[in-house]
Amino acid sequence: MAKPNQNLRNFCIIAHIDHGKSTIADRIMELTGQVSQRDMTEQLLDSMELERERGITIKLTPVRMYYTALDGNEYEFNLIDTPGHVDFTYEVSRSLAACEGALVVVDATQGVEAQTLANVYLALENNLELVPVINKIDLASARIEEAKQEIEEVIGLDTEGCPCVSAKEGTNIRDILEAVVRCVPPPEGDTEAPLRALIFDSYYDNYKGVILFVRIKDGGVKVGDKIKTFLSDRTYEVTEVGAFAPGLQPKAALMAGEVGYIAASIKSIEDVEVGDTVTGAERPASAPLPGYKKVQPVVFCGIYPLDGSKFLDLKEAILKLKLNDAALTFEPDNSVALGFGFRCGFLGLLHMEIIQQRIEREFNLDIITTAPSVSYLVHKTNGEVFHVDNPSHLPPAAEIEYMEEPIVKAEIYSPPEYVGAIMELCQDKRGVYKNMTYLDARRVRLDYSLPLNEIVYDFFDELKSRTKGYASFDYEIAGYERSKLVKLDILLNGEVCDALSIIVHEDHAYKRGRTLAENLKDAIPRQLFEIPIQAAVGGKVIARETVKAVRKDVLAKCYGGDITRKKKLLEKQKEGKKRMRQVGTVEVPSEVFMQILKTNKDK
Amino acid sequence: MAGIYLHIPFCKQKCRYCDFVSFCNRTDVAEAYMACLLKEIEMRGKELKGKTFDTVYFGGGTPSVVDPNYIYAAMRQIKKYFTLAPRPEVTIELNPGTVNENKIAIYKRAGINRFSIGLQTAIDSQLEELGRIHTAREYLYCTSLLKGENFSTDVMLGIKGQSKEDVRKTIELAAGSGAKHISMYALQAEDGTPIYTDYLNGELPDEDEVAELYDYGRALLAEKGYARYEVSNFCKKGRESRHNLNYWKRGEYVGMGVSASSFFSGRRLINTTDLDEYMKCILSGFFPVIDSTEVREEDAKFEYVMLGLRTVYGVSAQEYRKQFASDWKKDFSAAYRKTQHFLLEEGDVTRIKDEYLFVQNQILSEYAK
Repeated sequence: MAKPNQNLRNFCIIAHIDHGKSTIADRIMELTGQVSQRDMTEQLLDSMELERERGITIKLTPVRMYYTALDGNEYEFNLIDTPGHVDFTYEVSRSLAACEGALVVVDATQGVEAQTLANVYLALENNLELVPVINKIDLASARIEEAKQEIEEVIGLDTEGCPCVSAKEGTNIRDILEAVVRCVPPPEGDTEAPLRALIFDSYYDNYKGVILFVRIKDGGVKVGDKIKTFLSDRTYEVTEVGAFAPGLQPKAALMAGEVGYIAASIKSIEDVEVGDTVTGAERPASAPLPGYKKVQPVVFCGIYPLDGSKFLDLKEAILKLKLNDAALTFEPDNSVALGFGFRCGFLGLLHMEIIQQRIEREFNLDIITTAPSVSYLVHKTNGEVFHVDNPSHLPPAAEIEYMEEPIVKAEIYSPPEYVGAIMELCQDKRGVYKNMTYLDARRVRLDYSLPLNEIVYDFFDELKSRTKGYASFDYEIAGYERSKLVKLDILLNGEVCDALSIIVHEDHAYKRGRTLAENLKDAIPRQLFEIPIQAAVGGKVIARETVKAVRKDVLAKCYGGDITRKKKLLEKQKEGKKRMRQVGTVEVPSEVFMQILKTNKDK
Repeated sequence: MAGIYLHIPFCKQKCRYCDFVSFCNRTDVAEAYMACLLKEIEMRGKELKGKTFDTVYFGGGTPSVVDPNYIYAAMRQIKKYFTLAPRPEVTIELNPGTVNENKIAIYKRAGINRFSIGLQTAIDSQLEELGRIHTAREYLYCTSLLKGENFSTDVMLGIKGQSKEDVRKTIELAAGSGAKHISMYALQAEDGTPIYTDYLNGELPDEDEVAELYDYGRALLAEKGYARYEVSNFCKKGRESRHNLNYWKRGEYVGMGVSASSFFSGRRLINTTDLDEYMKCILSGFFPVIDSTEVREEDAKFEYVMLGLRTVYGVSAQEYRKQFASDWKKDFSAAYRKTQHFLLEEGDVTRIKDEYLFVQNQILSEYAK
């Protein structure tokens, strides 16, 4: 048995959103000479356009660095930046499995946040060594000693000699690096054993095929080696291995303990799954690495190509996104109104929004999405029990004994003056009050149990508007509860539009039906005939609105030159119609399907 | 059938809704411009030798604002360089605030036999609102000079504050003055015109109100013996505008003057909208054309259907077959199927049902590509 490189340190950073994780990563890279300051675009590791725009990290990003420590030795660092938002916890857990240690960054003005704690537990499950770091000490409101005390009490980490830094100003960054050298253990493993490499991420490159992000646990891999994975029997020849510098930097071989990438002309996207183990085809390991716990999606929506002929392009886009987003699930779906598409599952609303935007931006596809739904547990009278996340798949009411819906444990943080407004909102959303804690004079934490179905409706927007944007909110799934749920259908000109059906609590059906009908009335343009819009539950109409027939649509005088102009006008009008969906005889603008639930007018 | 259009881009004052090419502070160049127009007539006439034209139309701007002798000269030039069919229809647009006995006499001598008068409304406060330079009384004076002549009157719908009663007064004024033809069209608030601000502020009647006015006006016109032959055009028997019919039948026309457009030999041409550039081109012996497009067959078919369906004459399957050697219902099968409910079949002719003529863009756009 031969030990891996003992001067290697693999670590990641855990932090709450906005506690300065990406800025710390940037400073570390600067200090190790990875990139000079002038070459840096703001926040180097958040390379996705969306990440920069929103100021959040969505994807984990690895980078290799060299650091000469005060002990005179040169160390190789692999830093894996991870997302902070709750929806991306699964990304965090993937990075953790590739590391031996984690920096736990705490904002000196904010203290330990719920999300940090959640990720700390994840790290402990993975036996990681934790290094606390206190950031933002430059701010006037920094309370370093209180933050330290909170870390000791809440997380249980020793803060003696822990780095106190300002990533923004670059103060004391070297302390972090020394702490990594001192506290994070070198990797274990056997460089002579058969190859075992954990795939912690992957993406598709048009020239090189699938690029696997791996942590080598045992053995080594070099160009020309034959490899295979445990889930697929297919054998591939390695064409390139390397490190993240950042960006791909080829090297001769990857050995146990190292983090890097493997390219092997893997063209079939379906052959690769994150969490699987790569091994040698000629001398395979006997068992795979433990891999990851499968994540369960909790929010679902239909995604359809705007242009029906682009179905295969959409399929390819989703497959490629799935490559580095194991949490995305999908299955083909067919809607009367929207044609062929996919029913996709997400870890949360933000995750859903990000995927939708990535499809549109990275693959240049126009898509129609339906309103988000959750997965309900249906108990039929004949004893059958199954999950339904697509309202149009719900069996007839007569066959349903009862239904259960997912409930979340929600934590809401807010300045005290909005507590009343928040309680009112939670009440409206069928929330059950659990607890209220004054964290300090300026911050209150409210604990509620809330149906997830209400959260995917408009909870976020409402919370923001009722608290002037001050409240923040986090939730985790807490199980299922029996509930009186009904399917609310929308009929356009007498025909049910399947893509607009939603599942709602019985007590909310009337109000929601009325809002939906009103919103649709405003969203559907007037057409050549009158369009009745009806909301119905179990065949009984509970709300009705009418889109009046168009009465004037004509271009005035027709002079000679008008012919070209008029032609262009009609072509433009036709173009607009192409962005609509034909539901029976009615033309419905495609954004309606997603937004209809969001636009809740003040009534 | 073929027509000649001449654009006279001068006005005393720009109406608040107008987005046509016209200038109200350039009367200094009217003489030079008219000289250029004569030159263009000569150039085009030589090019189109052999073609016969049935109609001539002086449009604007305000053709009646310039010295009537320029119009006379232009007509003489037309007769010199173009072949006109026997009994051509020759129309000039008149603004009631710019006419007198002398002008009318010169127009008649020039061969003009049809007049199109911009009345818009009989309510003086609304005329002022629109930025028109005349009153209802001046319209009456204008028509008194045209006793027994073939003239048409423009009526506008959708003016700020306009009521059915106002529309009734206007139509009664037009009909009572002896108009053989009435154009009743809805005000279009175009971006960039002063009236667009009124539209943005919601001060103009909305589409339902305009539709109400239109239905009301249409019924009143029918009562008074004016039959609708196109969405905005109504006339006494046999008084259709031949010049406009030619547009709708996709006949050829040659347009001269700044911003004028033409359609002949399978091409659509557009002249520059820049007055100085127009004159420079002509003086250098060039056609002032800024865009020349060959109409592809697919576009020609669409134009034919779109123009035909505007009118009560509709689309004749036989005529279409003669022009394109195909079946129009097959060429536009998807659109036809989708709009069939709103169409009326009369033998070989298909037209938009009466009640849908005012929402025709909903139907016509289905036929666009």
